[in-house]
Amino acid sequence: MDRRAILEELKKVLEPYTENKELLRNINEQTDLVKDLKINSSNLVDVIIDAEAKYNIEIDFDSSEKMITIGSCIDVISQKTN
Amino acid sequence: MSGYHRLAVREMASTGNDLVFLPATRCEKTCRPRFYSRILTAAEQQLHARNDSLDLPFDHYIWLCWSIKESVYKYEKRLHAGLSFAPLQIEVQQLMPPAGAEEFYQGTARLLTAGMPLYFQSHIRDGVLMTMVSEDRSFADTRWGCRPIGSSAYADQSAAVRALVLTELQTLLSRTDLQLQKNADDCPVLLGGGQPLAIPVSLAHHENWVAYSFRYPL
Repeated sequence: MDRRAILEELKKVLEPYTENKELLRNINEQTDLVKDLKINSSNLVDVIIDAEAKYNIEIDFDSSEKMITIGSCIDVISQKTN
Repeated sequence: MSGYHRLAVREMASTGNDLVFLPATRCEKTCRPRFYSRILTAAEQQLHARNDSLDLPFDHYIWLCWSIKESVYKYEKRLHAGLSFAPLQIEVQQLMPPAGAEEFYQGTARLLTAGMPLYFQSHIRDGVLMTMVSEDRSFADTRWGCRPIGSSAYADQSAAVRALVLTELQTLLSRTDLQLQKNADDCPVLLGGGQPLAIPVSLAHHENWVAYSFRYPL
């Protein structure tokens, strides 16, 4: 999967946890999950588990700690899927 | 010398708090190893298993640990710019249940990579779990508040918790020129007359509840 395809799927993972759907439509690689998308921190574990299911991958603890921005999420998912 | 000037010269002044509205969490999901193993260290899992006196369901224990970790993170982030939240890098090391008239779970937790042990106080009431941390075991200079609001929308939570803490601070400091802003690390900064004041503030919200903590000497 290329980064654009991962991004489109990632939007679906983030959708249940993002109140502002307009913001979600316009995310870029610099968008921060908590600071910009306002995802409640208590949902961050859900995002990781849902991403594992969506991409059929396992995200180890060290990698999950890097998933702060959309770009870093794509980096981790790209590494695990390719 | 006024109270907050004394705080200004003190080293390592920070505060951290967190709030979890337990009815909004799902027990079945929380209790899956795949979920809680991303939050609890092996030592924390053992801490619950061997501590009968806690009398706390496992899912509530998980969220208690989560709120303690979030609070420690907020405390440490003010002191370590760029710190990101990694639940397994913060460990609850001691946990005592409320005793007698004491309403708080108490104990210590620390950021494993750098931090000193911090004391926490947590209480669970009406499904609302609230935690605050301090390097001062007595919490004598920690002020806190927690209340329900009429909306769970982010903008409303944010506005309500700011209004709540500013009302308290305006009364305490007898001034009306207070504002709250976030710095580059997303830490709340209290401004008076447009200038930063040395009163660390922490804010939390979840669903229809908001909470704050701040440090102010008696």
